[in-house]
Amino acid sequence: MAFLELKGVEKFYGKLRAIKGVNLAINKGEFIVFVGPSGCGKSTLLRMIAGLETINGGQLMLDGKDITHEPSSKRDLAMVFQSYALYPHMTVEENMSFALRLAKVAPEVIKEKVSKAAEKLNLTSYLERTPKALSGGQRQRVAIGRAIVRQPKVFLFDEPLSNLDAALRGQTRVEIAKLHRELGATTIYVTHDQVEAMTLADRVVVLRDGMIEQVGTPLELYDRPANRFVAQFIGMPQMNVLPVGMFPKAGNVYEVGIRPEHLTIVGANEGQLRGTIELIEALGNETLIHVNLGTAMIIVRQYERTRSQLGEQVGVQFDPAHLHRFDKEGKAILDGNKLAGAAA
Amino acid sequence: MQSSPNSSSGKLIIRTVAAWLVALILFFPLLFLAVTAFKTEGQAIAVPSLWVFTPTLENFVEVQARSNYLHFAWNSVVTSVVSTVLGLLIAAPAAYSMAFSPTKRTKDILMWMLSTKMMPAVGALVPIYVIAQTAGLLDTKFALIVVFTMSNLPIMVWMLYSHFKDIPHEILEASRMDGANLWDEFRHVLLPLGMGGLASTGLLCLVLAWNEAFWALNLGSAKAGTLATLVASYSSPEGLFWAKLSAASLMAIAPIIVFGWFSQKQLVQGLTFGAVK
Repeated sequence: MAFLELKGVEKFYGKLRAIKGVNLAINKGEFIVFVGPSGCGKSTLLRMIAGLETINGGQLMLDGKDITHEPSSKRDLAMVFQSYALYPHMTVEENMSFALRLAKVAPEVIKEKVSKAAEKLNLTSYLERTPKALSGGQRQRVAIGRAIVRQPKVFLFDEPLSNLDAALRGQTRVEIAKLHRELGATTIYVTHDQVEAMTLADRVVVLRDGMIEQVGTPLELYDRPANRFVAQFIGMPQMNVLPVGMFPKAGNVYEVGIRPEHLTIVGANEGQLRGTIELIEALGNETLIHVNLGTAMIIVRQYERTRSQLGEQVGVQFDPAHLHRFDKEGKAILDGNKLAGAAA
Repeated sequence: MQSSPNSSSGKLIIRTVAAWLVALILFFPLLFLAVTAFKTEGQAIAVPSLWVFTPTLENFVEVQARSNYLHFAWNSVVTSVVSTVLGLLIAAPAAYSMAFSPTKRTKDILMWMLSTKMMPAVGALVPIYVIAQTAGLLDTKFALIVVFTMSNLPIMVWMLYSHFKDIPHEILEASRMDGANLWDEFRHVLLPLGMGGLASTGLLCLVLAWNEAFWALNLGSAKAGTLATLVASYSSPEGLFWAKLSAASLMAIAPIIVFGWFSQKQLVQGLTFGAVK
């Protein structure tokens, strides 16, 4: 049985239906990441699980218990906020022990738990400081420490890294992954950063307009996206999607998608597609070549340096096995007619 | 470009002189009042004013003998303290809900509350007087406390609302996630973070209630009279007694000045404390 289960969960703001009947089952110990564009409802959904937003329909079950209408304080969940939300008038130690003190845990036990967590997070020498005397990264670690000392049923993270600079973000991401491996705690993590989603998640939940588009492991989403939206949302640069008119028509296929790394630049008279190079982005470890096909633009990713020039006529080659096919509604056609490899 | 040390110290001197000048102008009436309180009635009306004289305490003795200062002082303490505490108890939850769970109408409600302060008090005199009379509450401390509380509530709600608005909502949410119920949230998070706001609001309303004269004079001038009514009684049909009036005024404002002086430190401390995020 699922540890945390959302059954047809709904949220209304006045007449606006913000969360539209979400169903999701999360297993114990799983690391789940909610991703989606801004305004897709990922943070709202997390806050509904936290009890910070009321649930207007459906049911929320935790460990076999209905917690749909339980107040946050009784749900036994811990949350790490984007803004850290540390108590400014308390020291690091007081911040981390606050929940345990409220729960009337014995002082010796509190001390032990806090010092253990502080050690794990490299905070031991900062325990007496107040949050304002800490750097952004340290504050974030205190916020995480405050969550882990409690050993809650589920950890909730609301875009916890978005206030950190790029270097620190990478480092903290690795630390969070390590912590999860050590603690094995059930975790729900909201982000709009797909690198975080791909690297941290056991399963990723892609949301759009208050609905789940697809749930799956990071590579499942990458290799077998359920629809055009997921196909283009996961992966940077995004998947090239072309009208099927450029390919021999097959069944109810409406559009065809292919990832940039599955395309190769070849001589002007070779390959299945023809076009002109419009832009070359040399990033060092990879090169992104934008090719104008006349009716559409595609991006080709290659890991070698290129000798191609801007404005050069080139051919683009691909292995038809890597094509993704979508119907008129954007749904992926997974075992439909194989598309012939040759371009028109 | 750097300004020479001479011109910057010149500016400093001008600023210092200006600050002293303004302070003296503001302080002068109070000084004049204090000086007059120690004169005899004859010296008090002398023109030009006397600045060198032998001070006397006879005015203070007479004020106490004639009108029982302590009785009025006690009434002032009770009405202002109780109305302030009562006001905070009502205003704090109101401001809390407006600051942390606002609705579309919150701003309108706040404006409406403030608008009641724009009406001259005398506009409500007749109905309130009749209510107090019918309820048998004329000249009772209870009536004054109720009216002081009511008349200060809009300001209290506004002040607390703007103080609470400065507390990040997520900190309260974090405490809820940590298992805090409403009372824990109030005691461990809102109270320490909002202390500066609560203190300055409380102090302001204490001063307002202490100085309130209109309702004190109209609803309770004998048994429930406050120091404001004591002062007023010295401008009587018998004529103006400047020296005694000054002595009574000085005695009326002295407690609140002393109180303000001491609470200043706490107040500033509280304010900077709240500002630290």
